[in-house]
Amino acid sequence: MNRLKYIVKRVLMSVPVLWLGTSMTWFIIYQGPVDPAANLLSGNERLTEAKYEAARTELGLDQPPVQHYVDWMWNLFTLDLGQTWLVYTGSNVGALVLDFLPRTVWLGFWSVLIAICIGVPLGFYAGIRSNTVADYIASVSGIVWRAMPNFWLAVILLALLVGSEPLFGFDWDTFLVDLPSGVTGNPGLSYMAGDPLALFTQPGETLAAIKKILPAALVLGSASMGNEMRIGRTAVLETKNEQYVDFARARGVSGRAIVWKHVFRNALVPLVPVITTEAFLLIGGSVLVESVFGINGMGKLFFDAAIQGDLPLVGSLMFVFIVLMLVINIAQDILYTLIDPRVGYDGA
Amino acid sequence: MATQFNTYTEGEAAPLRDRVMANPRPAAVWVGVAAVLFGLQAGAVVQFLAALLVDAVAALPGITVPAGVAALDRAADAVPTLLSRETIPNRGYYDGGGYVGTFLGLSPDLAWLLRVTLIYAYSFAALAWVWVGYERYRTHYRIADWTPRDDVIDRFRGHKWGLFGVVVVAMFFVMVLFAPALSPTTTAANLENPYQHEVTYWADGETRTVTVGQANLGSQSQGTPQENVGPMQYDDYGRIHPFGTLPSGKDLFTFIAHGSRISLIIGLVSVGLSVSIAVVLALMTAYYKGKIDLGAVLVSDAVMGMPQLLLLIMLSVILSGTWVGKIYSGAFVLALIFAGTGWPAMWRSFRGPALQVSNREWVDAAKSFGQTPGTIMRKHMLPYITGYVLVYGSMTLGGAIIAIAGLSFLGLGVNPPTPEWGRAVNAGQDYVTTASWHISLIPGILITLVVTGFNALGDGVRDAIDPESDAEDQGGASGRGGGA
Repeated sequence: MNRLKYIVKRVLMSVPVLWLGTSMTWFIIYQGPVDPAANLLSGNERLTEAKYEAARTELGLDQPPVQHYVDWMWNLFTLDLGQTWLVYTGSNVGALVLDFLPRTVWLGFWSVLIAICIGVPLGFYAGIRSNTVADYIASVSGIVWRAMPNFWLAVILLALLVGSEPLFGFDWDTFLVDLPSGVTGNPGLSYMAGDPLALFTQPGETLAAIKKILPAALVLGSASMGNEMRIGRTAVLETKNEQYVDFARARGVSGRAIVWKHVFRNALVPLVPVITTEAFLLIGGSVLVESVFGINGMGKLFFDAAIQGDLPLVGSLMFVFIVLMLVINIAQDILYTLIDPRVGYDGA
Repeated sequence: MATQFNTYTEGEAAPLRDRVMANPRPAAVWVGVAAVLFGLQAGAVVQFLAALLVDAVAALPGITVPAGVAALDRAADAVPTLLSRETIPNRGYYDGGGYVGTFLGLSPDLAWLLRVTLIYAYSFAALAWVWVGYERYRTHYRIADWTPRDDVIDRFRGHKWGLFGVVVVAMFFVMVLFAPALSPTTTAANLENPYQHEVTYWADGETRTVTVGQANLGSQSQGTPQENVGPMQYDDYGRIHPFGTLPSGKDLFTFIAHGSRISLIIGLVSVGLSVSIAVVLALMTAYYKGKIDLGAVLVSDAVMGMPQLLLLIMLSVILSGTWVGKIYSGAFVLALIFAGTGWPAMWRSFRGPALQVSNREWVDAAKSFGQTPGTIMRKHMLPYITGYVLVYGSMTLGGAIIAIAGLSFLGLGVNPPTPEWGRAVNAGQDYVTTASWHISLIPGILITLVVTGFNALGDGVRDAIDPESDAEDQGGASGRGGGA
């Protein structure tokens, strides 16, 4: 019961955050120094008063600001995201998002998984063998890996994979699974349309889609990988020196059992909020990684909308991103309470 | 040596001047060294201040630099200094028998290396001088034999990782300060007006003259071994390029050295602003709690709910056309945006420690004595969170440098021709596996190194202030710029 209460409270807390974030976005876009209506018209059209007025009416800018604000918010909260103007002109934003979102989710999923699968074991390894040469190498490379800019890493990795034949002696494009379109481009997820089980029934397609996203996911997960390694190492170090570990050792529990049963399980707890912060890195970083690897995901869509000045689209997408972040955060807070029942029912 | 134990405070003791008079030798030697160090560089200091003034005036919209200010800048330029391009020139030419116009007739690469070595040697000597000054004060003139801060400094001295950070950060700062003197050529010739400057070179048995712009066209790095000028190579016009050239033929080292200035200025301004907002807010919320705290939680959650990099992109697009967006090639508005989006994460990190301090008995005692809230916050709470401020400030600075480079990489950050590291990475994107690998690789390695340095410095400070704490582990992502 207590837990349910906490979850309800957590969800309720996110409502004002969603409202505030969306309002700020509206204010920046529609009350900011740029006129969105003028921005949407190209050179010739901008000169004709009629076209400009039509655009203002279309965007609802002829209404008083309060009325426009209420309309805009109402449309967003009823998930009517409107039409695009410049990017894929005239398409329905909702449909566009549904079209682009799976690629970003696919990218995010694999980058979290890669980060966890490499970062956590490496951190635990370094923590158990603390102050050995292996620990120093693992720690320093984790720190350096974390300091590398994503966009630069993406550029370098992309170049290495494109030129993999002469450099490494094998061609990445045909390695294991054939990728006819090369390293860049969208992962082929369309085989799953209408049939999510195809993920398992058509392993060939799945493998190709994984291979396609792998370089981008590695780059996107790189920062979190370093974080997880650091935290994992510290957590193991701290747990190792706890009294109950000494006690277990004194009772003659084998070293292996101590590590697996006592140290690892407790060291996992501080790693959960690290995964939470990853949501921020993933969604923000997807812009850079997607544009370098040519993946048409949400980040690329947002970036295109921003540089082409399609401000209404920027606003709608920002709303989608805020919702995404809130959902991920709530999910991870709930996960946290499941792993460690002592954590914050009355805090947060 | 102050061997006897005294309980009086600094204010009650004999003035520092009397203590120095009683034992003048260490101080005199120290001041003597200072005079020599300063004398070598007096011209540079004057010139730096004059250039700063010119930049500040030029940054204001709608104002041309007044003639008087410009004249002051030129006059300052004429003061000879040890570590300038003019004292140790590397821009000479070969006239068939030897080099003309370079330092002592050395080849340009040696002359350049000599200058760089001297600049770094000088800077580290200056740093050592500051350190010796502190040590002399501590052993000869300070009344207290021991203060808690001594422990912090001694712990930091033994922290190898932190010292590595200090060295890297110091080298970065030297690059920022001495960018014009370190570069093999000037920004005016390299980036701004290449067709108004000339270069003399030796070809086919005679010396010829050509404009820098023309020479640049002949020294582009575009991937093929024929069209490439790599690190420490000469181009066809006898110019040395320590990091090679850009695809446009401009010198990459000059670009990077001057780009470091803009990175650091944006970083310092934005981190300074967001730290101030975060500290004031943390003190207020910790002191008053209740509704103020709740409001701050909501606002910060809402700002943090929008991914920082996306917010940066949105705001820089919207503000780019306004007058704020034009100050300092768009760098100023970036710093503002970064501060505006960065404070919530910092406030979150300061809030915990500030709340802890606000519950201590000395705060209650101060309240009961009738001290004003402002005084209590400043005198009794602030000192306990300055450590966190240093740690987070240093780590966020690294994150800011990455984020701004990321924006420039996307073509959104600082406007050309003002150099920025991210733009160099972007320019070299297509050439990573070709002969012109240096264009993307070198700026990226430098960003990684500088950010690692700032993080290491932060780690060192954290361990020195409180060896038990794990401040950074609370918000693991503080060292990153919104995922750039």
